[in-house]
Order: sequence, then C-alpha cells, then structure tokens
Amino acid sequence: MSYTIKRVGFAVLTMFIAVTLDFFLFRVLPGSAVSGLRCQNCTLQFKQAIIHQYGLDKPKFEQYLIFLVRLLHGDLGTSVANNQPVWSDISGPLLNTLPMLLAGTLVAIVIGVLSGVVSAWRRGTLVDRGSLWTSLVFYAMPTQWIGVLVVFYVASVLGLPRAGIQSSTLGILGTASTWATIVDRTRHLILPALTLGVGLYGQFALVTRSAMLETLGEDYVLTARAKGLSNLTVIRRHALRNATLPLVTLIALSAGSIVGGAIVVEDVFSYPGIGLATVDAINQNDYPVLQGIFVVLTVSVILANLAADLLYMRLDPRVRRELDGVTG
Amino acid sequence: MPDLTRLHVTRAAGPTHGRLRGRLRSQLRLLGCAALLISATFLSATGSAHSSTQSVLTVGTTYYIDSLNPFVGIEPQDDTAYTMVFPQLVQYGPGLTLQGDWASSWSASANGLVWTFHLRSGRWSDGVPLTSRDAVWTINTTLVDAKGPTAYLAGVLNDVKSASAPNASTLVITLTKPSATFLSNLEQFFILPQHVWAKYAGKNGAGLKNFNPGQHLPMVSGGPYTITQWQEKGTTVFRPNPYFYGPRSHAGAVALTYYTNATSLLADFEAGNLDYVEDVPYADASKLNGIKGVTVTYQPGNEVTNLGFNSNPLKPRNRELLSTQVREAFEYAIPRQQLVSTVFGGHAVPWANIMSSFSQSSGWVNPAVKPLPYDPAKANTILNALGYRRGPGGIRVVPAAKGRFPQASHQMSYRVIVPDDLDFDGNLQFQILQTAFQKIGVKLTEVPGGDASQAYTMITGPNGKYLNADMYTWYWHPYIDPNFNLSVVTRAQWNNNSDTGMNDPYYDRLWQQQSQLTNVTKRRALVWKMEAYLAQKRPYIQLVNTDLITAHRNSWTGFYPNLWSYGKAYYTSPHPG
Repeated sequence: MSYTIKRVGFAVLTMFIAVTLDFFLFRVLPGSAVSGLRCQNCTLQFKQAIIHQYGLDKPKFEQYLIFLVRLLHGDLGTSVANNQPVWSDISGPLLNTLPMLLAGTLVAIVIGVLSGVVSAWRRGTLVDRGSLWTSLVFYAMPTQWIGVLVVFYVASVLGLPRAGIQSSTLGILGTASTWATIVDRTRHLILPALTLGVGLYGQFALVTRSAMLETLGEDYVLTARAKGLSNLTVIRRHALRNATLPLVTLIALSAGSIVGGAIVVEDVFSYPGIGLATVDAINQNDYPVLQGIFVVLTVSVILANLAADLLYMRLDPRVRRELDGVTG
Repeated sequence: MPDLTRLHVTRAAGPTHGRLRGRLRSQLRLLGCAALLISATFLSATGSAHSSTQSVLTVGTTYYIDSLNPFVGIEPQDDTAYTMVFPQLVQYGPGLTLQGDWASSWSASANGLVWTFHLRSGRWSDGVPLTSRDAVWTINTTLVDAKGPTAYLAGVLNDVKSASAPNASTLVITLTKPSATFLSNLEQFFILPQHVWAKYAGKNGAGLKNFNPGQHLPMVSGGPYTITQWQEKGTTVFRPNPYFYGPRSHAGAVALTYYTNATSLLADFEAGNLDYVEDVPYADASKLNGIKGVTVTYQPGNEVTNLGFNSNPLKPRNRELLSTQVREAFEYAIPRQQLVSTVFGGHAVPWANIMSSFSQSSGWVNPAVKPLPYDPAKANTILNALGYRRGPGGIRVVPAAKGRFPQASHQMSYRVIVPDDLDFDGNLQFQILQTAFQKIGVKLTEVPGGDASQAYTMITGPNGKYLNADMYTWYWHPYIDPNFNLSVVTRAQWNNNSDTGMNDPYYDRLWQQQSQLTNVTKRRALVWKMEAYLAQKRPYIQLVNTDLITAHRNSWTGFYPNLWSYGKAYYTSPHPG
C-alpha cells in the first residue's frame, strides 16, 4: 500500500515540476504571440490589445500563479491565436490522435513481438539476422522519413489517401452515411498508423528478442519441453508470457516517444491531431495552447508510467513479494 | 543455455503438432478471409466520394483558416473565408483594380470627408434582408473601442469617424480627415449580419472576439458562399448562398483542404484528388508542367525578398553599414540572376522596388527604380574609395572612428539573421550571398532566426531599440495600395512592422502626405518619389520579385490566382471547363 502511495506521490510531484517547466520554458524563447505578426491590420493597437487581454503584460511570476490557480480549477486558459478555450481547441485534435496512436502502437506491438519471437526462436540464423537488422534500421530511421516513403511508394499502390482525416468531398452535396464516414476515416487512419507502427516496432522487436532469449534459457522452459509440449505452446504459455514484463515497461516508458512520433507523423500526413496542433501553437507562440497540450501530454505520460509501476507489481509476483517483505 | 536447434527439430514431429497445424490453418483461413473483406471495404473505397461530386471544386492549400471571426483571424487564409462569406463595400476584381462589391456606386463630398455608397439589394443566407443598417452597426461597433476587442478590423477604419443609413440601400461614411487609402482599406472591411452578431457584442463590443461562428454552421452569410463545414486543419466547405447580390458561383461547392506540407499536397494533386493548388513551391513547378491535363500558372508579384539593414541612426557598432555608398557597393556585389535561377527555379525576376509587380497594374510601381547590375569590380572600387582596405584573410578593415559614435578599427564581418519562416530556401540564398560578399572582402555569418516572432525579436533587439542587429534576409508580401508597404520603414512602425529601425523624419513626412493625397495623379508622383528615395537609401536591398505559382486540372477553368483573399471572383469565377 505504501508503495502505491509513494508512486502516486512521486507522480504528483513530477506533474508539478513538469507543469512549472511547461510554463517557463516557452517564455524563455525570444518573441511573443504578437511580435512576429507582420500585416496591414496588425497595428500596434491591435497587438497591445492582445497582450493586455491575455495578461501577457503582467510579471511572469504573476502569470504563473494565475496559470496554476486556473489549472487547479481545470481551466487551461484561452488561445491567443483564436480566442477560444484551450480545451475546446485541443480536445478535437486529441480525439483525432487517440485512434491513430492506438492503432500505431498496436501495429508496433504486433510486428515487434512477432519479429522478436521469431528472431529469438531462430537465433543465429539468416532469419534472425534479417529481422534484427530490419528492426535496427527502422528503429534508427526518422519517423518522418518513413512517412515520406509511405506517401510516395505505399499510398498509390494501396490506393489510400495521403493526407487529412476525411475525404474533402465526403458528404458535401449529400449526407454521408455513418458507415461511409467510418470507412473513409479508417482509410485515412491506415497510413499514419502504419508509419507510426513501423517507426516504433524496432524497439519492441529488440526487447522481445532479448527477453525471449532470456526466458528460453530458463529451467521451466526446459521442463515444459521435457513434458512433450509443442513448441507453440512452450512459446505461448511459458516463454512469451514471462517475456512480456519488460514489454509492459517499455510501452509505458515509450508513451512519450509515441506521442513524439505522432507529432511528426501528423505533420507528414496533414493529420489534424494533437501533434499538428502542437506544431501550430509553437509557430504562433500560442503559450496557453502549448501549455494546455503539454499539461495533457505530461499528465498522460506520467499516468502511463504510474500504471506501469502498479501493473508491474501485479504482473510479477516476485516484485510483490519483495515489496511485501520490505514493507513488512 | 537451451539448445534452440533441438527445439526446431521437435517442432517438426508429434501428433499434437499436426492438430495444431490444422487448427492454425483454419484460423489463418478465417483471418485471411477477414483481411480480404476489410481490404475490399477500405481499399476499394477509393474515389467513391468523388464520383457524385462533379461540380465540387477541390482546392489544396498550405494555408489554413484559423478563425471564422474577423475580429480574431489574422492568418492569410482567414481573409479568403471572410471575402467569400461577408459583403464588402468594394473589392479587387480581375486585373487587380478596385471595383464595387456590395456597393454599386459611390461618391465623395467636395472636401472628401463624406462618402455615400449605394448598395445592391440582397439578403443574408438565412433570408433576412441585407441592409445598410448592418453596415452601420458593424462600422460603429468596430469604432466604439478601436483599441480593444475590435482593434484588428478597426485598423482599416483609421480615418473613419462614423457611419449612418439614410435608407436601407444607402450608406454614408464620414471621415475625420481626407484619406487617400480609405477606399482601398474598405476592401478589407467585412460587413457582419447585425441580427446574428449583435447579441454577442456585450458592452463596447467586448464579447465579439469570443463568438466562434464555426460552432454555428452553416454561417449566416451575405457573400457568394456560406460555410457548411469548417475543420481548421482539414477541409472547409463553401456552399453557394442563394441570396447573394452578385454573380453566382459556378461550383456546386468549394472544398478547401489544408495540407501541412507541399509534398503531400502535390502528391494528392498528381493523384487527381485536387482540382486546384494555391501555392506551388518554386522547386516543384517544372515537375507539374509535365503532367497531362494540368496547367501551371505563373503570376508575377508573389513577394519581394530582401537583404535588410538595421538602419537605426543610433546603431553603435558597424556603423559603416548605415552608409548608402557601402550599401550601393553591396548591391553591385549581389548576383540576383543566380538567386533567381538557383533559389527560385527561374520563377522570379531581379527587383529593386519596395512595391512588388502586384501593384503595377494600378500604376504604383515606379518604372525608373531598377536593380543595379551584378558588378563586383565596381563594388570593390567603391569600397576601396571609402578607404576600407583588405586585411588578414582578404577581409576589409574599417578604420577607427571618433566623434559621437566612436568605433575601433574592425573587419567588415557581419551577422545575417535568416528566419526559417521563408517559403524558399533561405540557407541556400544566404550561401550565395556569402560567397558573393567574399569576393568584395566582406564576411557574412549566418544566424538562424527561428520563426517570425523570434527573428523579429532578434532584429529589434533588447527593449526594441534596434541597436544590435546588422543585417537579415526576409521578404514582404505585396499589398496593392502602397500605403502599407511604404509605411513599414517609418518611425511609427518601430516594434510593430518595422524590421529596419529606419528613422528618417523627411521620409515620414512624405509618407504622411501620400496618405492624405486624394488626387491619384499627385499621389502617384509622390509614391514614385518615395520608392526612388528608398531604393537610393537602401534600408533594404530588394533582391527578387517572385512568381505566385498555381496549378489546376484542365477540367476546371476561369481561375484568378492573384485575387486570393482580394476578391470574390477567386471562388465564383472558376467553372468546369
């Protein structure tokens, strides 16, 4: 119990530090939300009105306190760029990103685990070396580069859309059925998810291979084989199951990099998700939206890590026993 | 250590394995069938959305609509939306000439202070009559707190005192002083439906910025289109407004889709998913030329690029850069034609005027302002004559100076800020300039400028005093009327639109005069004089005047690319060809 409380306490402290950093980091950059505006209507009075309206003329520490108080009330503030509540600005992109993230992570896990298992099973063979090098190549390759390759060489072959979340002409002159909309949106999801998955799978493959090699050397695997169990059963029930523990940790730890991957994938595929919203907020120096996005992402990553910590305890009886011993 | 080879061997034998393989086969078959079904559903859907939408004009762009509220939106594409949705008194038509939009005619009083507009009969898209009272409400509401929530639109009503409506089809606008730019400014003023917007105004219009028309679709529109779908980073759909007072749209709808990058945009265009591309990168234009059924259009005057100088007379260091002779020498050293062919793929012309060729048809571009020829020998002669001899490494040395602004002897070595918000390869352009300046004994060092905001802060320096920066490369988008482009080098624009820090009272007076000269001929003469003055003083060395490159499928015709955000014909004119 005290372990759980400690982990939760640590997570809360991490959140506070991250939120504070989120606030000050963006303000260290030169320029403000209005200093880069150069247009006929971007008059001095217009810029001053914006600065005053958003309290950007107040001392930084006062702005920080206001930000914290609002955050405690669940208020992420108002966008400087379009004057809308930050939550309404980022909730849509978040909902767009989530299915892509899940699909991409699923693709990465499936390909990664299969590849890792096969590689470990065939250790030292051509298949192992091929799988290992492929994993390393994709692991090292920038995700946006994979995206560009997918746009050029995969999209036209499969006839899948290269950009956006929905066909531009869907339902314009009539009403698109729910099924047509689902199909259309899913088609737009495939390539970004595939890119994200391919970009991420390498690390899953390498970790799975390593964990599998370890478990395949354990006595209980030898015993299982001695009992006459089939290879598939040995792998599925005994080797892979025990090899999943580091995978759980990896999935939680890579939550941040998955989101990072989503940012570049969305930029390549013009996918209107949270990554695109982040890039846009950076370009516009829209501090409130940037803060909002980073608060949400930071909290998500911290919660994912917390969940992994707690899950690890549940999954591995040795950890539980050890903790029980420590806590008495 | 397990013997994995043995594991492989055992895998091949035994009755359990045979059953497993059978089960696996049937599972695989099932999986295969499911995969086929899914593939058939998701992959065969290609083009199904397009088949029933023959009159939908699909437009691809890398500019997005940030807000449908004209008190908020400042992105260039926002103006496209406002132009299509809201009535304007005047607008730009083909040929970039100012013409009536909602106003069919207008006249000014003898003293130029009272303007009377006669309005066309029309309705808002919800059927409510469109009257001069809407215009009066919009103008007067905007003016109530012009430094507050309505400041953005108020910027174009600078000289307006008030508006009144003698009857439903007549609008009278009173000015505080005669204005040369009043009419051209009105092109950017959008009339809002009072019956929709008034309830959000609150005290002094304070609530107007909070209203998000995107949450109340279809928008109540008085222009040729209403907006039925708005995805900021996706597709915005424009449908014809049946009550529009002007020429009807030829398209059943316009679907404007935003792309984050030109690569995806052009790939989609090549795949036939788009009818029109708004802004083709310079490097890709020739590639599109080879595609059957596609027309690429080049419109001179997209932007004027420049090498800017910190021109603040109080600049403490590298003060030789304030010298017009030094700047003249620099201009001789710049290989503009190389920039045109290398950086812009041939889609630009050498240029020296602060105004772009966009304003040529309106007569605002002084033809006598021409770029100096590329002549590094002449540049060297000028610098030699100024006493800047070559020192170590071939870099010229500026002798020490005394007086109000003492300077130690120093090399002609300067930092050039290069922002990354350019739509061309700024690094390549810098490298060409760097090599060219080496030939005249001047060393340039690139300083990454970051985005527009960061670059501007670096140029203006601490506290916005324009004391630290030396040079930078940037560009200006053209405006047809010269008032704005000429204003950016006035002292009044410091820390606003001035990127040069120029502080020249004589020039400022000229600018004030031109803004009040209502006689077009006299104003043109003054504007030309100012252009020549700037070309000689060189707060910027203008580099090139670039082309606006667009592409469309030949199944559509009637495009006016240069009317982007300037006139309603931009979307109403294209028709299936």
